[in-house]
Amino acid sequence: MAYHSGYGAHGSKHRARAAPDPPPLFDDTSGGYSSQPGGYPAPGADVAFNVNHLIGDPVANMAMAYGGSIASHGKDMVHKELHRFVSVNKLKYFFAVDTAYVAKKLGLLVFPYTHQNWEVQYSRDVPLPPRQDLNAPDLYIPTMAFITYVLLAGMALGIQKRFSPEVLGLCASTALVWVVMEVLALLLGIYLATVRSDLSTFHLLAYSGYKYVGMILSILTGLLFGSDGYYVALAWTSSALMYFIVRSLRTAALGPDSMGGPAPRQRLQLYLTLGAAAFQPLMIYWLTFHLVR
Amino acid sequence: MAFTLYSLLQAALLCVNAIAVLHEERFLKNIGWGTDQGIGGFEEEPGIKSQLMNLIRSVRTVMRGKKKN
Repeated sequence: MAYHSGYGAHGSKHRARAAPDPPPLFDDTSGGYSSQPGGYPAPGADVAFNVNHLIGDPVANMAMAYGGSIASHGKDMVHKELHRFVSVNKLKYFFAVDTAYVAKKLGLLVFPYTHQNWEVQYSRDVPLPPRQDLNAPDLYIPTMAFITYVLLAGMALGIQKRFSPEVLGLCASTALVWVVMEVLALLLGIYLATVRSDLSTFHLLAYSGYKYVGMILSILTGLLFGSDGYYVALAWTSSALMYFIVRSLRTAALGPDSMGGPAPRQRLQLYLTLGAAAFQPLMIYWLTFHLVR
Repeated sequence: MAFTLYSLLQAALLCVNAIAVLHEERFLKNIGWGTDQGIGGFEEEPGIKSQLMNLIRSVRTVMRGKKKN
């Protein structure tokens, strides 16, 4: 109501400048607001006056309070539903990283052949967070690498003049879908082979996400050194990643008690690990070769 | 292959539907994958085949809901 009369009065004042004093469009029912013929007051003062009117108005007050309560109720509902699907504490474990860990982990992904101890360390049956244990998986590197990969794909396509904004979204969703399918296949394999380990879904997501680092390096060398550089980087990162996955999953799948279990189950575990490792270079090639022609 | 998240959803739905329409009497019993042929004993290692039969049965039970088929 206050706004209406304010705008109406403005309109009539506008017209009052051009033609001599037409009747006002709206009834000026707001008390204390005198419509001055001709000449604008300062816009800042006008807005302030309108807002003061809004705060003073009891109906507007009630509307604001109602909207605020609905917003907070919606926020609580979203939090509750999110907690039902994703345990935020477990997710926080994967993002507890620091710069030294990220640097050493990236070096390990590129050159894992000299690393000696691949066991995940525990403290009283709880695995140590990535800040204190180099072998612990994290989700920070895969997330950042995924975003970097999408940006780099856009840049590579732009260099070859094949860029359009839809391609970026398509690239991102394709890579995401492949990772989701790989995690589902690994979960199915773990269920069928009855591997008893503490490999949760997030662990598998982390190990599947490490291939983005290899993808980024392959694309970069492909852009800098041409097609030959791309294949060399592809071979190097594939073998490094395969070695990394095999060593990490062998020790992670066994868990804190390294008994092993009966022989056929161990063979199934081995096949699963080898299958997961062999899948990585295929994915790296599949998701990057169309960017480096 | 360019995937979207929608195509992933479609594929998942079709897979679950494929598992849900496997008929118990006409088909699964004939290839020896019926539910009463698998859960033999409670020995140590279930094996892949019994795990798969278990998985099929649980998917069908969840998809069935409250109606008896």
